[in-house]
Formats: sequence, structure tokens, C-alpha cells
Amino acid sequence: MRLNRFGKSGGRDVSQPERPSHRDRTAHAIDAQLASLASSGDDSAFTTLVTRFQPAVFRWALMFAGDADEAEDITQEVFVRTYRQIGNYRNDGSLEAWLYRITRRAATQMRRKRTRRGRLALSPGAQPLRDVYTTDPGGRVDRERAGTLIRELFAKLPRRQREIFDLVDLQGFSPTEAAERTGMKPVSVRANLFKARKAIREDLLATHPSYGELSR
Amino acid sequence: MTCAECLSQLATSSLREMPADSAVMQHCATCPDCSRLTTLLREREYNAANVLNNLPPTSNPITLAESSVRLAQRRRVGRVVVMVSGAALVATIWVTAVTMILPVARRSEIVANSPLRTETITLRCLSPEQAADIINPYVRSRGSGYYMPNSRISAITVRGTADEVAKSRNLIGSFESDPSAACRSTPFGMLKKLGEEDASNDGGRGMFHRPGEGTSNDATPAVAGKATTAPKK
Repeated sequence: MRLNRFGKSGGRDVSQPERPSHRDRTAHAIDAQLASLASSGDDSAFTTLVTRFQPAVFRWALMFAGDADEAEDITQEVFVRTYRQIGNYRNDGSLEAWLYRITRRAATQMRRKRTRRGRLALSPGAQPLRDVYTTDPGGRVDRERAGTLIRELFAKLPRRQREIFDLVDLQGFSPTEAAERTGMKPVSVRANLFKARKAIREDLLATHPSYGELSR
Repeated sequence: MTCAECLSQLATSSLREMPADSAVMQHCATCPDCSRLTTLLREREYNAANVLNNLPPTSNPITLAESSVRLAQRRRVGRVVVMVSGAALVATIWVTAVTMILPVARRSEIVANSPLRTETITLRCLSPEQAADIINPYVRSRGSGYYMPNSRISAITVRGTADEVAKSRNLIGSFESDPSAACRSTPFGMLKKLGEEDASNDGGRGMFHRPGEGTSNDATPAVAGKATTAPKK
């Protein structure tokens, strides 16, 4: 399970052939077995599956959500749907990719629901209080930092560009892999990536003091 | 390479895929401003990836799994309830339609498509009750009938087949055009007629009976064909 192109598992080099390694095959077999057990009603297998994929799902959800709290809600929703639909999972694909698709759908639907509810809310007092992490100040700071970062870095990007930028430039997937995950054409992935980079970097360059002199 | 070209390259290409011997990197190696910008970009993306990847979810995975199972089961029950409610609603609508709406619609359709005709016949002489007595035996088919106005209008409305309506019209017409019909006789005319009849019977003694003279001492004119009797003393 790849999380970070800058550390942890690292991104795959584009020039390398895309043959699954022994480790990947083993992980795939374990996932398939867990899914099979969970679909037959084994709750402990489902718990193992949740434990295994929760960080990844939360990480994906963070990219779709505005903040960490919303990402938690999306993660919960993803596992509710996973429990209901695990019987539909076929072993020919990766469980991770299958979960990613569920996360994407869940995030989109929850965002629509939130938008509708936001429209329906009559006053700011109708909004629920989200600051519930008062017992862990360090964690709260981290979450606020993540929220600020997401807002700063991605707020101006459309959802699709944000997703592609995260998959390719932050998580280290190749555009082809990103296309497989998102169900888009590789050309569209590249176009979205191009636009996202341009928007993000131009925003950064514009705030840099020496940019004005350089661009002249 | 100029700084502007370097910036335009940096704006859209992947920092990861830029080799050290590329034109951009070579320019950055010599230009402190572009080098600073490149470093800034790298740091920013690194920080973003780092923060996002290292931010752990706060919920416990076991609790998350349990609540997911519970929620999924609750939703399943909810779906069943919704389906049952929907089926009940459909059944209610169906029963209502079958028992209430369809019969009314069918009845109105029958009325609209029936071959019966309705006609109002004006009466000049007969009363509606008399006209009804006359046509009653002839208006017998299903759905047919006659209606007498409550507001004392001299008319009768007949509903029936074309034959029945025509028959009723003819009958009423023949009774109305009959000069000897009872409705055409005024009391004076009736008395005169009776007197003529009496004169022809008893040698022209007049139209009124004198007391003790005739067979009848009743002042009321006798109706033709009706036997009169002497009062008993």
C-alpha cells in the first residue's frame, strides 16, 4: 500500500515494468481472503480489513474533504458501504482500488448532501459544532494544520484536478495508474494534472517576492 | 535558458521527473532566484504529502468496524421498512382505485356511452303525473325512466331508448290533442254537456234537475255512465 512518494513506501519509477512484485501478490491474496471471509459474515475478518485499510481510506478522504472531521465521516461511510457491498467484490481487481472507488463515490455523495443541507440551513447556528477534539491539543493542532494546508493548497482547484494532483504528485502514482483508479482516460488525467500544477505553482510563484522580478 | 522560460517549465512539469541534467535544473544551479523557487515548490509539496500522510485517523479501527456493521444492519432494516411501507402505500392506492375511483369512472363512462336518449316533453293539457301514468308501461328498458319537475312546470322528461322516447312523445301528443280529453273540459262545459245528455234522455227538461223532479235530487252534475241513486230518508 503506497502512501507517500517522499518517504514511506515511495512511488514507483515510471520507467520500471509494471509487474507485480511478490509482496504485491501476497498483499493481494491476503486482501482477497479477507474480503471473502468478510463477505461470508466473519466480522473479525471485516475488523482486520478495516484496521488494514483505515489509514489509506482516511488519507484519500482527506483529499476529497475540506477538513479532517469530514474525512472521518467519509471513512465511516466507506466502511459501512464496504460491509454492505463486500459480496460484490470480485478477486480479479485490487481491493485497494475497489475501496478507492467506494471512497470517491461516498465523498462525492456526501459533498452533495452537505451542499443541499447547507442550502437548507437557515442560520449559522444550525451548523453543528465540529471542534470536538478538545482532549488532544496536539492532535487538534495537526488536524487544523492539515485542514489549513488542504484549503491553502487545493481550495482553488476543482475536485478532479485536486484528486489527480494528489494521486500523481503527492502519492506517486503514474498517470496511467491514476487513470485506472479514477476511471478516466490517461489523456484526461494528464490534462487535469497539467492544469492543477499550473494553478498551484502559479499561486505559489505569485506570492513569492522575487516572482515579479523574475517574470519580467 | 531565461528565468521566464524556467518559470513556465516549473509551472507545469513534474519536479520528480526533472533530471539533474535538464535545462531547468542546470539553470536553477546557476540562478539563485529560480533555485529558491524550485526548493520552495519541492518543500511545499513535500510538506503537503507529509502532513496528509502522517495525519492519523482519530477513530479506533475496531470501533469503526463495529459501528460500520451496526450502521449497515440498521440501514438494511430501514430499507426493508421503506420497502414494506412503499408496498403498503401501493396496495392502499390500488384498493382505493379499485373500490372507489374505477366504479365512478366506469359509471360515468357507461352514462357517456349509453344509447339512451333524454327528451323533455312540454305539456299543455296533462299534468306531469298524468303524463307519467300514461307513459309508465312503455318506459321499461334498463336505465330508462321519467322525471317529473318539482316546481310545477308543465313538462316531463323521459329517458329511454329512441323507441321509448318516440312512443312516449306520441302517446302524450295524442292525449294532449284529443278534444274530449278531461283536461280540456271546463266545469261549465262539463255541466253543459251533462245537461244535453239529460235532455235527450228525459224529453228536454233542462240541464239541471229540479228537486223531486228527476230521479236524482243531487245538485252535483252526474258523470256520464255513472248511476245515480235517490237519497234515503
